[in-house]
Amino acid sequence: MFRYILKRLGYTVFVIIGVSIITFLLLKLAPGDPARLMLPENATEEQVQAMHVRLGLDKPLYEQYWSYMNNVLHGDLGTSLFFVKPNAQLIAERFPATMKLAFSAIALSLIIAIPLGVTAGVKKGTAADFFAMLFALFGQSMSSVWLGILLILIFAVKLRVLPAMGSAGIQSMILPCVTMGFSLAALVTRMVRSGMIDVLQEDYITATYARGISPRKVIFKYAFRNAMLPTITIVGMEVGMLLGGSVVTERIFGWPGIGSLTIQAIGMRDFPLVQSILLVISTIFVLVNLIVDIIYTFVDPRMKLE
Amino acid sequence: MNGKEVLRRMRKSNFFLAGAIIVAFIIIMALISPGIIVHNPIGTDLTKRLVPPEFLARGWHGYVLGTDPLGQDILTRLLIGGRMSLMISIIVVLATAFLGTILGVVSGFYGKTVDMVIMRIADIQMSIPPTVLAIAVIAVLGTSITNLIIVLVITGWPSYTRVVRSNVMVMRNVEFIQASRALGSSNIRIMFTQILPNVLTALIILMSQNFGRIILIEASMSFLGLGVPLPTPSWGSMISEGREYLTTAPWVVIAPGCTLMLAVLGFNFLGDGVRDILDPKSKH
Repeated sequence: MFRYILKRLGYTVFVIIGVSIITFLLLKLAPGDPARLMLPENATEEQVQAMHVRLGLDKPLYEQYWSYMNNVLHGDLGTSLFFVKPNAQLIAERFPATMKLAFSAIALSLIIAIPLGVTAGVKKGTAADFFAMLFALFGQSMSSVWLGILLILIFAVKLRVLPAMGSAGIQSMILPCVTMGFSLAALVTRMVRSGMIDVLQEDYITATYARGISPRKVIFKYAFRNAMLPTITIVGMEVGMLLGGSVVTERIFGWPGIGSLTIQAIGMRDFPLVQSILLVISTIFVLVNLIVDIIYTFVDPRMKLE
Repeated sequence: MNGKEVLRRMRKSNFFLAGAIIVAFIIIMALISPGIIVHNPIGTDLTKRLVPPEFLARGWHGYVLGTDPLGQDILTRLLIGGRMSLMISIIVVLATAFLGTILGVVSGFYGKTVDMVIMRIADIQMSIPPTVLAIAVIAVLGTSITNLIIVLVITGWPSYTRVVRSNVMVMRNVEFIQASRALGSSNIRIMFTQILPNVLTALIILMSQNFGRIILIEASMSFLGLGVPLPTPSWGSMISEGREYLTTAPWVVIAPGCTLMLAVLGFNFLGDGVRDILDPKSKH
């Protein structure tokens, strides 16, 4: 098992290097000369050249990448053109807000989806199952753009029970949290349901029933745990979608996280900041999946044999 | 599976039928909309701003679903915006499937180094959350429909490549392929005339399930101002424009919101239906 974890770690490093190359190259695609953007409009050719040397733009691409990576590994993600602050600091300031939202959204969706999925899987073909599947299909078809606005329309504009904007207090978290977690809840409901159906058809479940063990115990002790295994992986993979979705959700609710920072950075054409955000979000996503895979080796005893 | 069996299953699948009806309606509306609209989709008229929905009180020539803050007819913009969404999703799905399939067939067929390189690139690609990558690329390249299509194709190909590759790997060692090779068929011939038709089922299922996702991402991108550039209407940007008028003119967002939901629901129903029909084993 440790060999597997070690291999997985090495692989993670490889992927992160790959991602860093992509984010590095992204900035090279940007139209216009970054040196010119940093200088006043009437700058002379000599000044532009001098700026090129200062920024290291006169060096070959691989050398530029090398010094970029060197800085990144020392915690230097560059400086924001607009905020004139280190990118790392800006991201660190906004990071907790996004994480708070993302974790609450995951927690909320699991609290809803697991009981719903289990019930639907156990009572396949009943009204409860139909309701769960309808919820799953709606959830996956609901654009977070529309869901967020719809929630504001109902709960903030019509009923006036929840705030539409801001990040003060627990009430202001409810709507963004539902907006962000809704499609995940739908997906997990579906996964848990089909996991339960698969597991309940296994011979060992029939055998446990045959021994006279109560259905409740069969479902929760023997079936549920196995049905949950694929769900863990899916939740890990969906973290990426969730972090991407945070841009939309934070924009709708004015939530002061990484998503809002991204929108500001794009509005100000602050490409180095966009680049840093892309690198940070992707790295988090890769690390979350690494953690999920490691958890998996502990949860699934079959992995220990390999 | 023969054609008759497919037809029988189509009639039996409620998902497929519901999805097919909605999608057929969307396609028909997209095709005929330039002929039936009576207002200019981008004709601003500030004297007519925020007219509430009149439904059919003044007939087809009134503002059936009301007007937006710029005095533009919402129904007209919905129709033209839907046309755009549909066109983008069709191009993206076809281009993604094309690119992903070629890479998947090559990867699965040749194996070894070729496979490793393609799959590692796919892994790296999939480690960047698609929406975030799309947002970053569009932010740098600038908003245009072409850039939007390119970026959606870039974020989408790995899932096709993975599915096609695993199917090809199974096919590669099947007897008739070996027989064909013994008869001197070239690799290209084997890959594209013998293996490809056999992975078509998996490909069709994947494509049919992809439409809804593309429409959702396009709507999000347009909502953020990074998708279809203004003044061309799109459902995402229409929702964004109506955001400030929620208290006074909720119809500005309700119309595109409901349309977006219904359209994606239709495509998702159809996708699930197609899967049930072509791959009944996976049905739950």
